[in-house]
Amino acid sequence: MRLSRRQALSLLPGLALAPRAAGAQGGTTPAASPAGDLVFVLNSGEANILVLDAATREEKRRIPVLREVHHLVMTPDGSTLLVGDSGANEMLFLNPLTGELIKREPLSNPYHLGFSPDGRFLCITSLRRDQVDIYAWDGSALTLVKRHSLPDMPSHLAFRPDGKVVYVTLQGNNLLAAISLEGNFDHLWSMEIGPEPAGVMWNRGKLLVGIMGSDYIAVADPETQAVERRIVTARGAHALFWNLKGDTIYATSRVDSRITTIDPETLTVTRSLKVPGGPDDISFDPQGRLWVTQRWIAKVAVVDFEAGKVESIRAGRSPHGIFYASAQALRAPATN
Amino acid sequence: MIEALQDAWDAVAGWIFETLVQPALFAAGLMEWAEDAFDWIGFVMFGGLQVVVVYLICRPLEAWRPVEPREDGRSIRTDILYTMLTRLGLLPLIAFVVFASVQARISGMVAESGWIPPTLEMLFPVLREWPLLALLVYVVVIDFGEYWRHRFQHMFGWWWALHAIHHAQRQMTFWTDDRNHILDDMIGAVWTGGLALLIGVPPGQFPLIVILLRVAEALSHANVRLSFGRVGEWLVVSPRFHRLHHGVLGSGETGKNYAVIFPVWDWIFRTGDFRRDVFPRTGDPELPEDMATGGWLRQQWAGLRRMGAALVKAR
Repeated sequence: MRLSRRQALSLLPGLALAPRAAGAQGGTTPAASPAGDLVFVLNSGEANILVLDAATREEKRRIPVLREVHHLVMTPDGSTLLVGDSGANEMLFLNPLTGELIKREPLSNPYHLGFSPDGRFLCITSLRRDQVDIYAWDGSALTLVKRHSLPDMPSHLAFRPDGKVVYVTLQGNNLLAAISLEGNFDHLWSMEIGPEPAGVMWNRGKLLVGIMGSDYIAVADPETQAVERRIVTARGAHALFWNLKGDTIYATSRVDSRITTIDPETLTVTRSLKVPGGPDDISFDPQGRLWVTQRWIAKVAVVDFEAGKVESIRAGRSPHGIFYASAQALRAPATN
Repeated sequence: MIEALQDAWDAVAGWIFETLVQPALFAAGLMEWAEDAFDWIGFVMFGGLQVVVVYLICRPLEAWRPVEPREDGRSIRTDILYTMLTRLGLLPLIAFVVFASVQARISGMVAESGWIPPTLEMLFPVLREWPLLALLVYVVVIDFGEYWRHRFQHMFGWWWALHAIHHAQRQMTFWTDDRNHILDDMIGAVWTGGLALLIGVPPGQFPLIVILLRVAEALSHANVRLSFGRVGEWLVVSPRFHRLHHGVLGSGETGKNYAVIFPVWDWIFRTGDFRRDVFPRTGDPELPEDMATGGWLRQQWAGLRRMGAALVKAR
């Protein structure tokens, strides 16, 4: 079966922002990772990016960075991995197939980041500087088009599927903010969402937000700006991720050290698994396994959620962002 | 071996955070500070390791060739308290709480202006390829800043009133390195923080180098008859070099040998005394007894009182 470029890229976790069908995913018996696949782990506490060989789980190299790397994102065409070094005010451009550093560019305090669904804008939060930046992306270069001063502690972001609005959690004042990606890029509204909000995700017209200061995922209606319900997961609810099939939401909880699955249709918890060491970010391999940063114990866990198996690999101090780069998906030729 | 040590270190840090700190933060509604708190645990553990390494190196040296007998155990114990407060993170924690919001505001203003603070690596790209060299350059720049901060501590009356606590110690040992007024420490944090804002904060991926620097600073205060020889005395501050700074004639504006790590600054600015056979008694007879032999609180209060008096006098 020949995958289209779009289908192939949908296998990449950084692009799996919205659910969509992907028939090539998810066997019942996870096999070894394909040769050539790499896993990028951002060691925020020791200024380097660990590159693992996914098949052997051996360390291939460590890319030194200047200060403090937290989050990453793939460019819309799947050719380049952008890694924000917030402490150094730099953006690193990496080749996801080889781990080669393509270039670095000065950029103000990049923390969490994401491309709008149409690929035109890169939005970046700056946790320590209380700012949200919107950059225009022309396929090769970034141009700052709007900087919002947005106290307090802008943390994670997510987009409306039509690409017209970006939502940002404000960890320091318990708010969820909406910013337009049209016209003057206005700050549209802010709403109370819950104590110390972190990860945010769009799901079927609602916004799901990890409430780190409590034990639940808040479900908010962006139209009415009201919290409609709470999905109790575990203490320290943090980040949210779609699996590659787009039929399950995974939520990490850093205090109780658990990963919880949620049915996106019914918004009910379907399963919960203990993953020690403060699970933070997740990336999925083609076999459907989870690669998870274990923030407080300097490791990365490979989790077979179905079997309930957790295997840890040495990473580095305070590993945060993670990305499984499937060589097959990245090399798939464009067919349209 | 190194991997096993690293694993053990990570396991201990993780256990402390997950068992003690994170639940407390969660209960207090302070989870937005979780990542900073985790970094803090690393800082405290590293501080503890520094204390152990410094002790294991300096204490045998002091026993081997002391300049003077250890007679005043009480004042040494006070210095130990200073070290614990400084190295195990309590004073930096206070400084952090006080300055965090100020720092965030300044960063916000900088961001608003659109200016991206440079790092030394941006100005000198070659440093990217040589992280160890980059660290050395950072250390040299920070040390240069420390030399001038030290000069100013002796130059301005109000600042000398605070710094005098450091010089009042007549029983100087390697523990004396951290004997400072809390206000003086905070000024130091602002000073170094400002410098760090200008050049970027160096990465902490060279813990061994950081420990070596810490040992060098502590060793310079050690009660040991040790010089680093004809060449070494010009390269790194030795116990002999720094003892001369703490000599009874070294106080106030008449001081010599201000350098903290690299004596080259004293050579350049003509404040160096490189005589290798001079090991004077330390302390300042003009300072009140509270500053010399009082407990931590009395010393702190004396420093504050004298600073107030110096400021009134200056008006």
